[in-house]
Amino acid sequence: MPQAAPDSEKLDEHLLEVVRALHGAVKQGVSHTSDPKVMDKAIEDCKEILDVIMKGEVKEWLN
Amino acid sequence: MFTDKIELKDIDKMDPEYRDLLGRVLTIQADCEIGGPHLYVEKMLPAAPTKLDQLIVARTAAEEIDHFRKVARVAGDMGVDVSFVLSQPNEKRFVDTFRGLITTWEDNSVFGFLIDRVGRYQLEEFYDCSYLPLQRILPDIVTEELGHIEYGYNKTAELLTKGDEQKDRVQKAVDYWYVRALDMFGRSGSKRAERYRYWGLKRRTNEQAREDYIKEVDPILLSMGIKVPDPLKGRRYI
Repeated sequence: MPQAAPDSEKLDEHLLEVVRALHGAVKQGVSHTSDPKVMDKAIEDCKEILDVIMKGEVKEWLN
Repeated sequence: MFTDKIELKDIDKMDPEYRDLLGRVLTIQADCEIGGPHLYVEKMLPAAPTKLDQLIVARTAAEEIDHFRKVARVAGDMGVDVSFVLSQPNEKRFVDTFRGLITTWEDNSVFGFLIDRVGRYQLEEFYDCSYLPLQRILPDIVTEELGHIEYGYNKTAELLTKGDEQKDRVQKAVDYWYVRALDMFGRSGSKRAERYRYWGLKRRTNEQAREDYIKEVDPILLSMGIKVPDPLKGRRYI
């Protein structure tokens, strides 16, 4: 078997958690379309998560 | 032509050219997956026209991050580290289309409609490809890309109902993204594309895939009342 890239599994696990958290926040928002406060909170949660991913500080995520 | 099917356990036995090309195509694919959110999250998440659209922007980004994850895992398992693309600035993206920032809703809508469609074409190149771990991740990714394309199409169509001024803005966005979409297929007659085909990593030549895309997209644009841009004007890769 080939040698896997370092931290490949760790990164995979971290991103999977991120994706699940995002989907959770989106689901919360889209299931409360008549409640702007819940939607705003969901959008804020998504923004917070995505800001971290967009910064791309991979070493920090994995430590 | 190489017709075998390769598993991860076989990769070390493969010709170095095969490993190089596979590593290269996975790196570019990973870069394109994460390149999308880097184009639109910053400006479109806060500025999408409704709260529901804002959440759909976030969901689209989540799906693209997940596509990156899946491609990165296939690459990582064979020893190719693609994590550097998570932190590289937009201007260093492998594909020109992802070097910039989407700042208008028209651009965001047309991007989904035209560029995610190229993404689908790129993924379809790997259907029945020689590397089975790559083949296995495709169905879910393609299904989600189809959702992005449909959303982009619907939002573009919605904008077209909002008067002439808005229609002009959509046309301008189409003029911008259409030529970039055609360029994404790469140079016609590319020698590297031939090697991808030789090793069973891609199905079509660049020009075949581009031609198929044009045949699919042009009638859709015309049916929406959008003028098809000059396919050569502003092109970098003919």
